[in-house]
Amino acid sequence: MIVVKWFFLILSVLSTVTAWAENLPSLISGSHSAGQLQNGKQALKNMVTAMQTLNYQGTVAFLRDGKLEPMRYSHAVNNGQEQEHLLSLNSPLREVVRETGKVSCLYKATHQLVVDQRPFERSFLVNMPTDLAQLDAAYDIEMQGEESVALLPANVVAIKPKDGLRYGRKIWLSQQWALPLKVEVYGLSGEIVEERLFTELQVKDNLPFIAMPPATNTPPAATNATAPQQAAFTFSSLPKGFTEVFFSRQPIHVAEQPVDHVLLSDGLASVSIYMEPRNNTPPPVNNSTEGVQTIDAINFFSHAQGNYQITVMGEVPPETIRLIADNVRLR
Amino acid sequence: MNDELNQKTSQFLDDELPHDQALALLQKMRTNAALAEKLQRYAAISHALKTEQFIALRPDFSAQISARLEAEPAYLLPRPKPAAKRSYQWLALAASVAVLSVVAVRSLPLLGQHSPNANPATLQIAQHAAVPTLPHSPVTTVARSNTEQPLNARINDYLQAHNGSAYADNQQLQSMARLTAYNQK
Repeated sequence: MIVVKWFFLILSVLSTVTAWAENLPSLISGSHSAGQLQNGKQALKNMVTAMQTLNYQGTVAFLRDGKLEPMRYSHAVNNGQEQEHLLSLNSPLREVVRETGKVSCLYKATHQLVVDQRPFERSFLVNMPTDLAQLDAAYDIEMQGEESVALLPANVVAIKPKDGLRYGRKIWLSQQWALPLKVEVYGLSGEIVEERLFTELQVKDNLPFIAMPPATNTPPAATNATAPQQAAFTFSSLPKGFTEVFFSRQPIHVAEQPVDHVLLSDGLASVSIYMEPRNNTPPPVNNSTEGVQTIDAINFFSHAQGNYQITVMGEVPPETIRLIADNVRLR
Repeated sequence: MNDELNQKTSQFLDDELPHDQALALLQKMRTNAALAEKLQRYAAISHALKTEQFIALRPDFSAQISARLEAEPAYLLPRPKPAAKRSYQWLALAASVAVLSVVAVRSLPLLGQHSPNANPATLQIAQHAAVPTLPHSPVTTVARSNTEQPLNARINDYLQAHNGSAYADNQQLQSMARLTAYNQK
């Protein structure tokens, strides 16, 4: 029996040594990983530059929560001015233009034009911060090999969250132009939460700017972006990497009172916090408001705080939504 | 109508169908099983013509496999546990130590999060497990189904205000009339 005991003891020691030996190269090559991180970040920098300076068009499939929305996409640049244009291929037919922080959406069937000021967003494809260093606190960025998308060779960049309070992403960058051919957002279990991909892409020397139909009356100012310090609430603490990037106080519902809206961002993920007086308005959800709920891969949580209804919403895990909601403090 | 569809399916397989029509055809196939089956048949014919190699399967091939799987007996009775003897306790302990050592050491690169070949799914699970539980905030995620209740208008408004790209990938926004919307004459 003693022989058997010794046999297994030696076996365990040998297993340990073997495992260490197997992992030795990866442990030694720590500098290689750092290099990969650097390359990943550089690849994203190149992507941002390419997205801003090239004229390109193609068909993009937007997939979210099992729904597919194919759209014609184009990006044009002229004298430093950029314009993004989307045209839906399926009903409801609509045309969307982003230009200098303003998004205009024209619904063809109803001739309804929706205008929004969105100075904090830059692209329908993938929103990256101006300074990529903003991602350092919450994400690791690294190269993950090569694949093909829409028959175009691409480098894969993985953006991995450092904690479980935000989602990971992968971006497939065209090797020829550094443009994002495909973007995937992963949930905490690795499932795809959202996907955007070009089914075909062309880069042109020039592309025309699309003119939206002239307005017959002037739309009211959509959003007055002011300092977040003016909001009627603040946060006792925020998840790592998240900062306040936008604040507006305006009626969000037709002919109703103003709503305070603060937008938080960690550079990639964004979370909105809305506060409005409760008055006699019913709670914004018909069923239980006890937990975090999901609509189209966006999680939200709404609860009463004093005489106000606070709603937190974003493309982040439910834990993050609840953590932020728990840290809202009225001024 | 059928002829047109047949022609489009054929063009699709030959990569001659315009992109928007191809997308429409693929979407139609999602709801039309017969059309999807037809595409499969055409693909098989095309493959056979191009390669001169084709293994013909009987139409009920998959049904037969399913039937045989269903005919497999289900083992519901719990298996009797072998009586643990004291003499094997040392063996179990030593084996456990060996397995734990291997698992612990192999998981080191994941903890560093720099493994270039790390599967995102695996990585995400590892990170999720590391998140401390939030005090006083039990999270119950309620997946919302469109059939359960109509989309609340207020949440719709918030959704649009939150997400500019919702114009691109949310077809339900059309019903929403924000203050910024107006009718064009």
